[in-house]
Amino acid sequence: MPPVDPIAAIPEPEPPPSVAEDATGSISARAPATLLVALPVLAPDALQSTLTHLAAAFPDESLLVATPDSTPDAARQPLPNLRLLPYAAEGQPARGEAPWVLTAEDYAATAALVAANPALQCILLLGETAPALGPALLRSLADCIRSPHGLRTPPGAQAIDLAVPRLQLGPGEGLVNAALLYPFTRALFAANIRFPLPANAALSPRMAQRLALAAERQLALRQPRALLWPVADAAIAGYAVRELDAPGLLPPVPHENDFNALFAAILGSLFADIDVRAGYWQRARNPIGPATLPTPSPLNADPQANAELDSKIAGAVGSEIAPMIESFRLANDNLQELWALVLPPQSRLALKRLAALPAATFDMPHSVWARIAYDFALAYHLRTLNRGHLLGAMVPLYLAWAASHLRASAAEPTLSAAHIAATAAAFEQERPYLVSRWRWPDRFNP
Amino acid sequence: MGQQIETALRQSIQRIVLVLVHFLPGILAFLLAVVLFALVGWLCAALLGRLLTAVGFDRRLAERPGAGAPALLADWSPANSPTLLATRAVFWLCLLVGVVVGISAFDASYSADTQYSALLLPYVAHITGAVLILIAGTLVARFLARSVLIGAVNAQLHYARFLSLGIKWLVLVLTTAMALDHLQIGGSIVSVAFGILFGGIVLTLSLAIGLGSRDLVSRSIERSFDFNKTDGKTDAPAPRPTEVTTMVEPDSAARSEPVASLRHF
Repeated sequence: MPPVDPIAAIPEPEPPPSVAEDATGSISARAPATLLVALPVLAPDALQSTLTHLAAAFPDESLLVATPDSTPDAARQPLPNLRLLPYAAEGQPARGEAPWVLTAEDYAATAALVAANPALQCILLLGETAPALGPALLRSLADCIRSPHGLRTPPGAQAIDLAVPRLQLGPGEGLVNAALLYPFTRALFAANIRFPLPANAALSPRMAQRLALAAERQLALRQPRALLWPVADAAIAGYAVRELDAPGLLPPVPHENDFNALFAAILGSLFADIDVRAGYWQRARNPIGPATLPTPSPLNADPQANAELDSKIAGAVGSEIAPMIESFRLANDNLQELWALVLPPQSRLALKRLAALPAATFDMPHSVWARIAYDFALAYHLRTLNRGHLLGAMVPLYLAWAASHLRASAAEPTLSAAHIAATAAAFEQERPYLVSRWRWPDRFNP
Repeated sequence: MGQQIETALRQSIQRIVLVLVHFLPGILAFLLAVVLFALVGWLCAALLGRLLTAVGFDRRLAERPGAGAPALLADWSPANSPTLLATRAVFWLCLLVGVVVGISAFDASYSADTQYSALLLPYVAHITGAVLILIAGTLVARFLARSVLIGAVNAQLHYARFLSLGIKWLVLVLTTAMALDHLQIGGSIVSVAFGILFGGIVLTLSLAIGLGSRDLVSRSIERSFDFNKTDGKTDAPAPRPTEVTTMVEPDSAARSEPVASLRHF
């Protein structure tokens, strides 16, 4: 998918309508602000762009905009309806340089401001990609929390406590999310949120306070950059979560360049979270079930069209998929000793069969991938293996899934979403397998 | 002649019996002390376990907000239960005290004029130390071998298993040499043999990697030569499947073009 400049894709915001000013030139006495926007350290241009978008998104109300102390004064150009304020008093947590997704430090710093402003109804917690969020999306996120059902809120309707943007990615983007984060969140926490590790989020005050408790635990362990899983937290608290389409918004890019380290950090955090919340997800709940999926187009009667399709797949296999399959086969030859500690014989047999397939027909069954992921989550819980080794040994298996996914969506990019949805549905179907193994690991041990 | 042989045999048997008479009470005292302290340890562990379960020790520890050490304790406990950790610690502590008391009793049961105690006990300590060195060495060897194996496989090195085995045997050879040295067996022979063996393994690995990677190195040099010759107008090498897209300036909000078409995150 060609990169799209999200700012350019959005029409230039109209200047905000003037706010009534008193004789001294300051904004007249207004009601206490109900919206807080928490920003990380941004470059002056990016900060100015974000502030402009905020002013355009909320022209007729006053906002509190929290900016880190390190923001240069030159960037603090006042806009009529924005009130800039520092994060917290000395000794309190404060946001630093923006990580690629929201971390414990971000949630903790914001909670301090929430406690100091009881009139708040919504908190927009923005990350590194804040300048790319247009006025329309900012407005939608805030409105989702403040009045989720519009002005005519039906009686008894549940309030939304967490809203996150839903990115629209190409088939080769956000693969770790599609392979693991989304299916795990959907299957174990019954939350159909496509991006459970957000870089930007809108929170209700009670959600912010709840996340602050989790964040404080990480800060006490001196891990300010620890990842939190707000969707799982909201599910456990019984809070409603909503996803809003964010067309053109690109996914955040990690600063870390080492894939293995990133994979281990994210998956380790997810498995630790699943371990902590085992009491919740072991209880039965209604699965979300398979969505309406786009069906693959039938084979064309025209042999030339089929040949074009084959060459398309062959091209994809040659350029991107082949190295992944090669990596998986290499691991299949060398890591059997470690996989045998984690995976039952059926899964290893399925992997051997998979390794023997040619690249053109390489396809990891969804149920096999779901069981493998669950087995690794269980091994993380049981400490069957050193956790660093465990997550390292999972990388080639993930690459095998990624190769299957790319091959499946090589012919037609629209099939990418179907493949991801089928993977998530398989995770839901195999959830009883995880519950059984979690409760009686000895009975099922390989 | 026969009488002399009979007398000599009888005296030998008497000496053996005498030694046994002196030796057996020591062994008995050692075993008694170990069994007694094991029982005491089991009793203490059971009492402590009941007490901690009654007060909800695990739950209280888990509920403590912002506590770093308790969370770490629970994380490292067997089955995530600090209670289980505490009871096992008490049991093994008692058993250790029992072994120490047993050795003291064993030593005390000897008469002062015998040399066995003076020779045997230090050697028992040496043997214990050597066994501990061997256990630690085996664990370290396995850990390093797995680390190297996984790292090499993820780096797509086709000789990953060979590298892993090399590291494992290097550590095991080093450990064995240390254990033998600790037992004072072999003297300088062990050091010399170890040096030869260790050097041999390193040389073999170097040759194997060097010869095996000859093509890789030559291709790399050729590529850099071509790159310089054509003033950078050459095809970039294909990205590895685990390559992560990066930004040119991490601090800036401006996003650069991705270096690879894949985005894992």
